[in-house]
Amino acid sequence: MNEDTIKLSRRNFFKAGTVLASGVAIASTLAPYDGLLFAAEAPGAKGKWYGIGIDINKCIGCGKCANACKQENNVPKDPFYFRSWVEQYTIKNDGSILVESPNGGIDGFKQSVPDNDIYKSFFVPKMCNHCAKSPCTQVCPVGATFETEEGIVLVDENYCIGCRYCVQACPYGCRYIHPEKGTVDKCTLCFHRLKKGLQPACFEICPTEARIFGDLNDPKSKLNYFLKNHNCMVIKPHLNTGSKLFYNALTPEVR
Amino acid sequence: MPLHIKRLIGVFAIFIALFLVMRQVLRPSSFGELGHFRAKAIYENTLRPMHYTVADSCTKCHKDIRSDKDLGFHFRLKCEVCHGPGLKHALYANQFKNKELPDSLILYKPGERKDCAICHNLNRARIKIQFDTINTTMVHMVNVMKHHVTDPKTKEALKCIDCHNPHQP
Repeated sequence: MNEDTIKLSRRNFFKAGTVLASGVAIASTLAPYDGLLFAAEAPGAKGKWYGIGIDINKCIGCGKCANACKQENNVPKDPFYFRSWVEQYTIKNDGSILVESPNGGIDGFKQSVPDNDIYKSFFVPKMCNHCAKSPCTQVCPVGATFETEEGIVLVDENYCIGCRYCVQACPYGCRYIHPEKGTVDKCTLCFHRLKKGLQPACFEICPTEARIFGDLNDPKSKLNYFLKNHNCMVIKPHLNTGSKLFYNALTPEVR
Repeated sequence: MPLHIKRLIGVFAIFIALFLVMRQVLRPSSFGELGHFRAKAIYENTLRPMHYTVADSCTKCHKDIRSDKDLGFHFRLKCEVCHGPGLKHALYANQFKNKELPDSLILYKPGERKDCAICHNLNRARIKIQFDTINTTMVHMVNVMKHHVTDPKTKEALKCIDCHNPHQP
């Protein structure tokens, strides 16, 4: 190596070092403001932090939760609009998967595959996951959807412009455009009932108590007891949505 | 400072002032108090009407059915699971003692085979439900459309509730 290259590399070394050091300095000064990235505070905050538990082993697919949700929240009765619905998964002996949800399960389910061909079959009730880092609130261009301090994702009906960005952003398909209002509508975890100290309608109505609702910050809550005693998992964990809907006995077929 | 820079600063100042005024006028009053949304919307979301009540409000009056139900397998079921939302009934039915209830307060009385079939029809997806150590949940399954469809003596069509008391199955 001659002298020139050593000089040049020293200069480059200082350049790169300065860039790195200033980058670290900027990142560390901005760190306290990362709250801007997430609308709601992460778990560990004070107060309530609501979560949901669903036991797939206990669900009998009666669809009462989907029906109760429609009645409680005046969701249109057409079979395209759901805040909460039930899916019937059937895994056949040849490995293919069949997912059925006739009218969201409100009218009950029928097994369309003969029993001899079924490897296993189960019901999965679905609803808004009330994500802590929800993709749907991040894309709203006007700030019409947001996360409350309790971790509930709500919609501001009077401010929504009906642009449908959030409908596309939700990886769980939990939003729809209300046909009469023209604004987006989704599960509010029955916010009007919560504030009166009642459970959401679908949790109130579940006949087998497959749905558990509670405060994740309260170590004595029913939900924390459920999470400790079962192998719980969220849907699509790789998307890092901070989902707070935990399923017991969730299998990878469920999307 | 050159003249054109001074003019440019003036133009910028006017634009910024105009933006601030428009922002003040167009922005909703409670926007930004808690985040990038109207803080009032949280309150507005609590104003929706309720339709479902809680189980205790039914058994305050219907005590006989509660004592029936507590002995049967349906003891865990809440009344509204089968009878539908009953908040209106719970609030106003008291005023119609010994009088006929108006139609809007009468709750749904399920009695057809399809009503029982919603939970009790044969379905492979329900089979794996077993006794749990914490909560006992198990649903009895029958082929609802074939199980004793007609009375063997009178040959009349039978409903499920002709033999099984739904409050005490």
